[in-house]
Amino acid sequence: MPEVVVSIGPHHPALKEPVNFKVVVDGEKIVRLELDLSYNHRGVEKAAEQRDFIRVLPLMERVCGICSHAHSTAFAKGIEEIMQLEIPPRAQYIRTIIAELERMHSHLLWLGVAAHVIGFNTLFMWTWRDREAIQDTVEEMSGNRVHYGMNEVGGVRRDLTPAQVTAALERLPNLEERIKKYVDMVNKEETMLIRFRGVGKLSKEEALRYGTVGPTARASGVDYDIRKDDPYLAYADVPWNVVTDTNGDVYGRTRVRIGELWESIRIVRYCLENLPEGPIRVTAPRNAPTGEILSRYEAPRGELVHFIRTNGTDKVERVDIRTPTLANWTSVAMCLVNQNLADLPVIVAAIDPCLSCTSRITLLDNQNKKTGVMSLDELIWRNRSRDQGQERP
Amino acid sequence: MSVLGEMFENLLSRPITILYPKEKVPIPGAFRGRVAITDEKCIGCSKCSLVCPARAITMIDGPREVEFNGKTLTRKKRPQVKLYKCIRCGLCERHCPTGAIFLKNELSSSGTDGEIVVT
Repeated sequence: MPEVVVSIGPHHPALKEPVNFKVVVDGEKIVRLELDLSYNHRGVEKAAEQRDFIRVLPLMERVCGICSHAHSTAFAKGIEEIMQLEIPPRAQYIRTIIAELERMHSHLLWLGVAAHVIGFNTLFMWTWRDREAIQDTVEEMSGNRVHYGMNEVGGVRRDLTPAQVTAALERLPNLEERIKKYVDMVNKEETMLIRFRGVGKLSKEEALRYGTVGPTARASGVDYDIRKDDPYLAYADVPWNVVTDTNGDVYGRTRVRIGELWESIRIVRYCLENLPEGPIRVTAPRNAPTGEILSRYEAPRGELVHFIRTNGTDKVERVDIRTPTLANWTSVAMCLVNQNLADLPVIVAAIDPCLSCTSRITLLDNQNKKTGVMSLDELIWRNRSRDQGQERP
Repeated sequence: MSVLGEMFENLLSRPITILYPKEKVPIPGAFRGRVAITDEKCIGCSKCSLVCPARAITMIDGPREVEFNGKTLTRKKRPQVKLYKCIRCGLCERHCPTGAIFLKNELSSSGTDGEIVVT
């Protein structure tokens, strides 16, 4: 049978964000996936170069709506490391609490979306209802449901009052009960088992070869979590386990995320109960010394990397953001091969793609009014060889 | 079967949604809402306009005598906030030395009219 190209996006009713899939199919089976990501380039990195360290953090939060604390913490952590600031333990604990609450709401949101994709809307309603309890807790602590504004270079902006700690602790038992239910459901519910088991399989070797991160890698048995491997914030003090699974399919990714929900509750409970006394911030100098730093952070979707270069002023010279979704796209293209076309939405949803955060570069050809793609050779030529007068590949 | 049990349980329990606007959504104490300025406290230092990430605050003429740390100062400027440009991050409140500019605990509407200002 001849191969047919099914074009999905960039604007499509089933897509939440703009992305273009060209799915090459042979009958019902997917042969190959070609994708174009950069439809939502916002120029965040360039805008960050023009703002001082106080004004840049609200911008960093807005890289992503779901992992807004992840981006601002990764950035603040990098700058603090360059400035060689010692962050008070109470600030570290508060950052950890918000980070884990954020992970919980992100995973519950993902579970809802995955359920919605397979047509199991009941679970979608339930998880999103339970997510509200977490959103309420975050709103009580930070003043906002989404962009928390908790971080500043040197610590956190708001302290937690005993009343807020008690209110948060009171919500946890109910959430625990709900998560127990989801653990039970994912192992027994026929609707989920049929659509998740054996779909989008990725072996451990493949996961390592394609550089996957986060729950996608951990579901294939790769024991890689920045919180354990390169501890930051208060993760070194808190007892918790890395959740891995050996299934390597969408079912495994669901199990990892639900397991992480459980671990996150443990971390939040420990941090709330053992919140150290003391100041919540140190005064940061206005300027950062010249330096380069690679700040790593385990965002809900995987390893988030901020590369920061400072030049002795109160602004960054360069900030480069590598979001976890970008690292996971190759694995999606690979594990889609030989799968049914109808399983495409659930396999794509399984990495929890966040496309707007991923958009980092847009090529503009002003003369021909075109945007385009750049090959690796051309990219290297633009970076290095062009200055040495070498010819364009 | 776990789904069926939950469905019957939900049939007998009260709905999770709130009958808005009959019932109001509770607003937590720490909520970051509409920006407000207490003019008599402002010493016109311009810090708020410098830290504002959205560049929503401009300093306009507003000469006035203000009490600060037991001394009487004569200020020249006062802040003016473009309401719909404000992203309610709370940085002005965090950096204000006198607590003159702050975020109220009430909802702020959204819109596109750039002429609506808070002074």
